[in-house]
Amino acid sequence: MSLSEFLVQRWPEIVELSLEHIGLVLVSIGLAVALAVPLGFAVTRIPWLARPVLGFSGVVQTVPSLALFGLLLPLPLIGGLGNRTAILALVLYALLPILRNTVTGVRSVDPAILDAADGMGMTDWQRLTLVEAPLALPTIFAGIRIATVVGVGLVTIAAAVGAGGLGSFIFRGLAMLDTRLLLVGAIPSALLALAADGLLAVAERRLAAATGTG
Amino acid sequence: MSGASIEFRRVSKAFGDRRVLREVSLEIRAGETCVLLGPSGCGKTTLLRLVNRLEEADSGEVLFAGREVARWDPVALRRRIGYAIQSVGLFPHLPVRANVELVPRLLGWTRERRRARAIEMLRLVGLDPEDVGRRKPHQLSGGQRQRVGVARALAADPEALLLDEPFGAVDPIARGRLQSEFRSLSRRLGMTVLFVTHDVREAFRLADRIAVVAEGVIQQVAPPAKLRSAPASGIVEALVRGAETEPAP
Ligand SMILES: Nc1ncnc2c1ncn2[C@@H]1O[C@H](COP(=O)(O)OP(=O)(O)O)[C@@H](O)[C@H]1O
Ligand SMILES: [Mg+2]
Repeated sequence: MSLSEFLVQRWPEIVELSLEHIGLVLVSIGLAVALAVPLGFAVTRIPWLARPVLGFSGVVQTVPSLALFGLLLPLPLIGGLGNRTAILALVLYALLPILRNTVTGVRSVDPAILDAADGMGMTDWQRLTLVEAPLALPTIFAGIRIATVVGVGLVTIAAAVGAGGLGSFIFRGLAMLDTRLLLVGAIPSALLALAADGLLAVAERRLAAATGTG
Repeated sequence: MSGASIEFRRVSKAFGDRRVLREVSLEIRAGETCVLLGPSGCGKTTLLRLVNRLEEADSGEVLFAGREVARWDPVALRRRIGYAIQSVGLFPHLPVRANVELVPRLLGWTRERRRARAIEMLRLVGLDPEDVGRRKPHQLSGGQRQRVGVARALAADPEALLLDEPFGAVDPIARGRLQSEFRSLSRRLGMTVLFVTHDVREAFRLADRIAVVAEGVIQQVAPPAKLRSAPASGIVEALVRGAETEPAP
């Protein structure tokens, strides 16, 4: 059977696993954003938080992904074979780039602008929501972009703990020494990563232009 | 709204072991325009920022409207005082009009009222509210940005204005016009103005009284004419003479 025949034959499954793949990335990046952005803002307000928070998310990055999945598996409630372990690991990996960019984005706002904000009588909350957060947005978005692209790749490995997604093809291909299976997993996954990168890069540029920082 | 008085009582301030202000006392009457004049690095900006509590004094007292600033809620205090700085600090993500509307917005003015005020203020500083008002700050010249900074400082009817070299980036010809416009404006509005500059000519144009700052103390406080006719020290005399020999703009 040629590769194209193989593609046609496996098409419904490719679509299904791609959607599952995208779903896993969206859920985990969504959760990571919901966690890392407020935490990043908190770090800029509460100096002693910086070390433990950035330290923890940095250490997580150094754990090889396969090992992290393995470590999370035996955990009660959150562990086990399936989506939850995979999503948890993905969230942990996505934390650092988003956190770090949130903190960097806020900290790199022009001091003259902050001076004006304080001088006109903004409360700390107003300064954050009206000035710092909007100006940090392009940088935060850059962090989300990195996390997403990395996440698309990581999800393929998450198939090892039974999360599904395009990684299922790859692991089956490896087990059966079937190159075609490997390819129908790896190629759509790579295309997804490229597409996500491109889309988010466009969004990032638009944001930078809108905030006058681009 | 009429102006509020500002007073410094034996105020000292150091950064590390660098003593910037030494027991400075100065009273700015309500409705008066007082210019702090002195060489760069003499502590003018620091003195100004003590009023709206962007700096805290090490000792002594600063009073706004007769009440010690340390006893004001900083946010409430700052909303009654307009503040404009040389580097302007316009919010780059907001159009010019939204920048000018910000303090009224913080104060909870209705949309119509603050829009009308922003248009009025932009006209006042000689900018077209329709054209310039819709642009983003990065699309303006340095001089236009500084005008917007002043319009923003004026927008919420402050009782006092703190202006830190607000016309520094304007070209000399436009600056002369802005100075005379500002002079009539501040008189008409009756607000108290504390104005920082190292430009002697500018000080003479704008001030009811000039406070000459040098070496961490106030050398002399006097109306411009008096400063010229009876300088209190060699430093003051040198400063004033410098202005007279300067070529006309
Ligand atoms: N936040 C600060 N930290 C340390 N030194 C400062 C700070 N602000 C001002 N200074 C120093 O205090 C002195 C007076 O500064 P400033 O009030 O800005 O002077 P001026 O406005 O008259 O030029 C300068 O030597 C300046 O370097
Ligand atoms: Mg200064």
